[in-house]
Amino acid sequence: MVLKIIEYLGIVFGVIILGLLYGGIARKVIARIHRRYGPPFYQNILDVLKLFAKSNEASHGVMFNLGPVIAFTGVLVSLFFIPLGSFRPLFSFEGDIFVVFYLLVVAPLGMALGAGEGANPNATIGIARGLTLMLGYELVFFLSVLAPMIHYRTASIATLVTVQSAFPHWNVFPFFISAFAGLIALHGMMGEKPFDQVIAPHEIASGPMVEYSGKFLGLLQLYHAVGIIVETGLVVDIFFGGGNWLTFILKTFFLFIALVIINAVMPRFRIGQAVKFYWKYPLVISLIGLLIVTIWR
Amino acid sequence: MGIEGKIVEDIVKRFGDKVRAEVQRERRVKFYTDPINIKPLLYYLKEKGFIHLSSISCVDWIKENQFELVYHLWSYEDKVHLMVKTRISRENPEMETMIPVFPVAETYEREIYEMFGVNFPDNPNLKPLFLEDWDGPPPMRKDFDTRAYVREKYSMIDLTEILRQGMDKIKGVRDEDEIL
Amino acid sequence: MGLFKFAQSRSLWMMHFCTGCGAVEMPPTMTSRFDMERFGIAPMATPRQADILLITGYLTVKTLKRVIRSYEQMPDPKYVIGFGSCTLNGGMYWDSYNTIKRLDLYLPVDIYINGCMPRPEAIIEAFVKLREIIAKGEANGWKKYKENIKWYKENQAKVFDVKKWSVIKWE
Repeated sequence: MVLKIIEYLGIVFGVIILGLLYGGIARKVIARIHRRYGPPFYQNILDVLKLFAKSNEASHGVMFNLGPVIAFTGVLVSLFFIPLGSFRPLFSFEGDIFVVFYLLVVAPLGMALGAGEGANPNATIGIARGLTLMLGYELVFFLSVLAPMIHYRTASIATLVTVQSAFPHWNVFPFFISAFAGLIALHGMMGEKPFDQVIAPHEIASGPMVEYSGKFLGLLQLYHAVGIIVETGLVVDIFFGGGNWLTFILKTFFLFIALVIINAVMPRFRIGQAVKFYWKYPLVISLIGLLIVTIWR
Repeated sequence: MGIEGKIVEDIVKRFGDKVRAEVQRERRVKFYTDPINIKPLLYYLKEKGFIHLSSISCVDWIKENQFELVYHLWSYEDKVHLMVKTRISRENPEMETMIPVFPVAETYEREIYEMFGVNFPDNPNLKPLFLEDWDGPPPMRKDFDTRAYVREKYSMIDLTEILRQGMDKIKGVRDEDEIL
Repeated sequence: MGLFKFAQSRSLWMMHFCTGCGAVEMPPTMTSRFDMERFGIAPMATPRQADILLITGYLTVKTLKRVIRSYEQMPDPKYVIGFGSCTLNGGMYWDSYNTIKRLDLYLPVDIYINGCMPRPEAIIEAFVKLREIIAKGEANGWKKYKENIKWYKENQAKVFDVKKWSVIKWE
């Protein structure tokens, strides 16, 4: 029992460090695309340490302080349902895909409660944009995940991982249309350009993060770091075959870097354009993928 | 003669000797008049094609105890820059506002009120433009001693004074303790 | 702890508040040629997220009020860099009726960069020097401000109405 607790605390710590390292390497990749040197690859870890060493933060009340805590907790709890390489998830049962989808929505809602407490209109605009964008990508992501779920008649992530055992049996090859739509939805879920309307530093002064300083901002950075691993991990488990811990790390890394490279060269959509885009092409693609699966059956 | 000459002829024919005209060079014409004639002159010039009021400037003739207001007009068709000049008294300076002729004059008159102290009674918006919480005399007047004001308000390091004292010390005139 | 001091010196977030004409040297320093991000310095949008306040050039009284308000909103520890000769002794505007002459009377300054304007190489040298004095623990401008708050507020009261524009309580 105690051993299990230590193991899961170790997993949480490892995921946090890994997420921060991914963020730092992403900054280096973006810098090399801009033809300059970038910060060292461990820069995000230093940022978080500096933020936790700050004092004298401003606070707007209890709900304001709880916002980042709820966001971080939401994403951390959803970590326990996802098989990470060879570590079996803490909870695994039929229907845990739906639970993960719900938990991934808790985080922005917690931020919405917190950011609404701080009396800054930039935060309200940022959160409104975030929740509107969620209307776009959630549906597409769910429909694209539905295709392998229908084919294998299962609603548990662990079963989907064990079904695809070795390289030629990855889900992405038979379900490539759904996987394509799922990847576009993942791009929006991670908040990379052209879908980073939530943060948007030059338009709305970093959106919901605008009033947070010091330790709360550190918690938000950790939320973003764990979010990277959770979301790419989910897609890797469903479409690219889980694998052991080394191949899992490599697969999430390369998927993340592919998204970052697109991020480095694109500008930002308007929020209306982004939602309309999601409801036009990716939705149609995922519906076609779903149709093919049901006809095949 | 050219365009400038035609404009001068036109104005002199209409206004007689209330206006004194001068052609400085190609594309530059000056009119000198009394403050009471400015508004009809500007209305007439606006009909003639001088539709752009570029600026209103103010000159402080302190020895003659007068302010001079200059209205800069530009015509897009003829491409001539016109300067209409008046003199007003320096004690309690006041001038009629030109907002009915050119609505943009509101900002220029606001600046002149702030920097020179010339009052425009019917201008609705004479709030300060650049100097928030200003507590001194209008700063662009020639009798405003900038250095004394700055020395008192901002504890300015007066470099000329330090240099002069340094030079005196080198020449042996002053004691070392008296340097700032 | 040593690790926290190391992290504080290697990750400095700058507030993107371009106060005077010296701010025209910031874009070259931030972009690809004289890359500033490799030192860990990134521009941030609000004072709540920033560590460094960069006073680039002259400060009129109008801007000084807003700068002091932003400075008091930043969380500790925070650093101020005075950029250009206008923060040292008034620079080119030394006898102007509307700009302040010595920044040190109103805000605690940790590093001055002289020049009009300083080139990006000079700015980067200043950042490296700031990094060294933070790692040694000598960059205590924010502590000086808290301890001598009455003196700073007296100086500020000479130029504007302090009660209306302050965010912190000092008496």
